[in-house]
Amino acid sequence: MADAAAIAERTFREESGRALATLARLLGDLSAAEDAVQEAFVEAMRTWPVRGVPDRPGAWITTTARNRAVDRARREAGRGRREREASTVWSLPAEPDPPPSPVEEVLVPVDDDQLRLIFTCCHPALAPAAQVGLTLRLVCGLRISEIARAFLQPEATVAQRLSRAKAKIRAAGIPFRVPPAHLLPERVPPVLACIYLVFTEGYSASAGDALVRHELCDEAVRLARLLVELMPDEPEAHGLAALVLLQDSRRAARLSPAGDIVLLEDQDRSRWDRDRIAAGLGALGRATRLAGGRGPGPYTLQAAIAAAHARAPSWAATDWPAIAARYADLAAVAPSPVVELNRAVAVSFAAGPEAGLAVLDAVAGDRRLARTHLVPAARADMLRRLGRPAEAADAYRTAAARARTGPERAFFARRLAECEGAGG
Amino acid sequence: MQYVALLGTDERTAPAPGSDEYNANLGGYAAFSERNGAAIVDAAPLQRSDTATTIRHTDDPPLVTDGPYAESAEAIGGYYVLEAETLDDAIELARQIPVAEVGWVSIRPAVGWWDYTGGEGAEGADRWLALMYGKEEPDSGPGTDAWAEMAAAHQAFVASQADARTITAGGAVHPLDTATTVRVRDGEVLVTDGPYAESAEVTGGLYVLSAADRDAAVALASRIPSRPGGAVEVRPLHVLPAG
Repeated sequence: MADAAAIAERTFREESGRALATLARLLGDLSAAEDAVQEAFVEAMRTWPVRGVPDRPGAWITTTARNRAVDRARREAGRGRREREASTVWSLPAEPDPPPSPVEEVLVPVDDDQLRLIFTCCHPALAPAAQVGLTLRLVCGLRISEIARAFLQPEATVAQRLSRAKAKIRAAGIPFRVPPAHLLPERVPPVLACIYLVFTEGYSASAGDALVRHELCDEAVRLARLLVELMPDEPEAHGLAALVLLQDSRRAARLSPAGDIVLLEDQDRSRWDRDRIAAGLGALGRATRLAGGRGPGPYTLQAAIAAAHARAPSWAATDWPAIAARYADLAAVAPSPVVELNRAVAVSFAAGPEAGLAVLDAVAGDRRLARTHLVPAARADMLRRLGRPAEAADAYRTAAARARTGPERAFFARRLAECEGAGG
Repeated sequence: MQYVALLGTDERTAPAPGSDEYNANLGGYAAFSERNGAAIVDAAPLQRSDTATTIRHTDDPPLVTDGPYAESAEAIGGYYVLEAETLDDAIELARQIPVAEVGWVSIRPAVGWWDYTGGEGAEGADRWLALMYGKEEPDSGPGTDAWAEMAAAHQAFVASQADARTITAGGAVHPLDTATTVRVRDGEVLVTDGPYAESAEVTGGLYVLSAADRDAAVALASRIPSRPGGAVEVRPLHVLPAG
């Protein structure tokens, strides 16, 4: 019985995102769609574990939720007080016409609706944190408590952020649609950024003592694959999928059994997920082909860097000149101090730590990096490799002071101890 | 639906209304109007923020001081009321407003915008913009009892001035959470959530007043319904050169 309930719940979760997207279009309102799916969930948990999961669960959820929504509209219209609001919000006829009867025919979720929902959730007029929250809640079907846990934020904060975002979508008239072609170049990047933010938050948690939040990594991989399915001609959708798959292939090897970071350099490459790598390389190939003469976009370039690591049999046998060149390409299409910093690291392996330090010095003063551990950590490593342990130790101390998570601090402390030992 | 777009600039670098440089920029606005005339419900430029008078309802009687509500180099220099089907369409319009390339355009969905006099003011009077400011109370947006109460007070205020034709237009806007800021830099459109500056953003709405002089405009604006702690900034509209 417990198993039946668990299967019912999992199936519902997997199917509910598509159903919700179609309901949002039918009802013209996200909150109404969410409430309707929630009512369908209650009904499913009552009946599925007993009678079994229906053959087409997506159609069952969509139809049941739509019928519940119509029931609810009728109740609210009957109450009279909010009848006008209900009739406009729900796009159902106003009184005196009664709301239509629950439909007899089966409603099936429509794929395009999911893409509409993603563009609505990732609308640039919503703050990035709200975009991520809405996407996880509405597209992935995560509960608010799960989102709160993943981001280590109080549930009330997440709930309030989401309800504000939904209120803005409604009041400000954020449309439920896929943007027209001429707007796609500026509207696709926030969608990609949102999905990648879910991934990086999972892969390299920004707070707390757990370095990896697996559920967020999994959701990001799912979202990236979904976007490829929905936008098969968009090169950067494939690029993002490639990037996320290739980085995620290293997830298991990234942490020691004790939960410490294992640097790429020291990872056991036999623990890399070969299926993920193959899928990522395939996606990278498609991204590059689709980009054609336009040249690869920022996600495709980052995926190409991840692919160079994935293909290398060892750290020493990595194609560092290629990686440094891709970072230079990336700096040209998406300039950022972090890209320059990573290029410095690549150059330090391609041409030696002194050449790397020269690139690093050029970017070290950037105020956007001032409070992070990134510059001192990179500098410390280059100095250590140059055999200058005293200077390296200083840099590790700065890096440790700025680190945000426990395992990061522990790693710098370990390196610091090694340098102090070597420095005598 | 309708949107109120507030145009913001840095007054330290933006040309002063009436200056040659300011007038030279008007061509861009004329071209914007020509392209989008059907979508423009109302619009006007403002004089600079140092011409403002602010009425603060922190005490009874309210405190009247010279100067804007928020002392800041970044100030509102004009407004548009736009008709657009969705926020995307409003953003499409906002990005074309010339100020978006040097300053910003803050878009707020309007609950409504009303023209009370068909554009006519009192005879021989000047136009003034009254902008409502102050901390937003939670749960006071459209649909709440608090909103309905304020709306009724505003209706009574407008009705009291109908014969004198001292209120030519007015609008109510949705809460701050619904604001979107649009800027264009190097040809790239930057869209962000929220108002440009939370502390200096209109809450509730705005009125266009018709009054013979500043004293009359301030006296009228001090009667605009306000919650305790709210404020109203009154500023003369800038009259564009003819032609």
